[in-house]
Amino acid sequence: MVYLDNAATTKYKPEEVYKAFEYYVREIGVSPGRGSYQLGIEASRMLYKTRRVVAKYFGIDEPNVIFTKNSTEAINMLFNGLLENGDHVIISCYEHNAVLRPLHTLKEKGIIDYSIISREDLMLSPEEVYKKYVKSNTVLFATTLASNLTGRVIYNPSLIRYMKVNGIKTFVDSSQGAGKIRLSMSDEEIDYIAFTGHKDLLGLPGVGGLVCRQKPSWKPLIQGGTGVLGDSYVNPDVFPDAYEAGTLNMPAIWSLNVSLEWLKQSAESIIEHEKELMDYLVTELDGIDNITIYDREYDRVGAVGINIKGKKSNEIVQMLDDNDICVRGGIHCAILAHEALGTREIGVVRISIGWMNEKEDIDALIEVLKRVGEC
Amino acid sequence: MLMHIVFYSTSHVFEAEERLKEKGIECKVVPTPVTDKAYCGVCIETYADNVEQLINHMEHSVVE
Repeated sequence: MVYLDNAATTKYKPEEVYKAFEYYVREIGVSPGRGSYQLGIEASRMLYKTRRVVAKYFGIDEPNVIFTKNSTEAINMLFNGLLENGDHVIISCYEHNAVLRPLHTLKEKGIIDYSIISREDLMLSPEEVYKKYVKSNTVLFATTLASNLTGRVIYNPSLIRYMKVNGIKTFVDSSQGAGKIRLSMSDEEIDYIAFTGHKDLLGLPGVGGLVCRQKPSWKPLIQGGTGVLGDSYVNPDVFPDAYEAGTLNMPAIWSLNVSLEWLKQSAESIIEHEKELMDYLVTELDGIDNITIYDREYDRVGAVGINIKGKKSNEIVQMLDDNDICVRGGIHCAILAHEALGTREIGVVRISIGWMNEKEDIDALIEVLKRVGEC
Repeated sequence: MLMHIVFYSTSHVFEAEERLKEKGIECKVVPTPVTDKAYCGVCIETYADNVEQLINHMEHSVVE
């Protein structure tokens, strides 16, 4: 089998990550913050250590990390907590539905409004974007690190900095690209980052989070058991406990700790390997008749979106699947990007490489795609 | 003298443990020996004096 759907989930993890999961479930196996016996204390210590590792990874000194089950939950927590009646938000046209839908829901409730930076306007200078999109009630600028549809890097450090300097809070959805592009919240003026563990960070599904440059004071997304101040009828005003009601996925959190440590040693070689593979993939795709490669000219992470004239994306995905090659077609939970690219009706075939892929995997893909073009 | 440093946040307990150990100060995380429900269920136990300057940025109390 050739797995080329790493933008959805990196199927293959470093051996150390599997071992960390097994260690936690076999040797620890209890929840942090729920017992004051030594095993429970060790679980809490492991949770704290992972907060430290995640905070450091994203470039802040304080362990201001709220763990969630994925980046979607983290984004919902931020928007529902931070945004107030009458606020305005600016997003890019490449945002995932995890950003669009919670904002649109708040808009439908009459609480906020948002504007979308068009594909063409992403090329404007920060000053021009500011002038065109910022309103007197704009409080937040939200951008994805990279498009989950085309792989294009959307994050623009100059634009983030300009927004921040002009009093607008900044948020980066790093679900696509964290692990490939290193961000420093302190150096780059990012107030909030949402991350997910199971993609380029090479952890397991079921853990994500929100990293905050300053500890938040807004309301939590959910209420429930926090392990502290149990006699209160609502979550206590204690960070980060108040934002993590319910049992945390510690096996996945500990595995993330190990995957981030592993990345510290290996990221450079992985990035180099994947860049070589991506260059090879795009060059080979160029040789296929009637192909469209979306955002061909831009810097990208490990994903590329294509179509072949006369075929729907699902038909191409099916032919590849018949040959034991896994890619993803359809809308990819990114309707804004499809509207920007004009592919809402036909979808896009997304090919996304990972650290375990080799040139032979690309060759196998290209061989089938050439036949698709001939059908 | 044995003292316990209690915190509201569990995260602060382990940050305090980290800071004390970085300075070579012996300490242990143990169940909080007070009935005040305001504090987290575990705390720092230490015999060392003058550790508070290391943890002053975190909300805490000292119980001797």
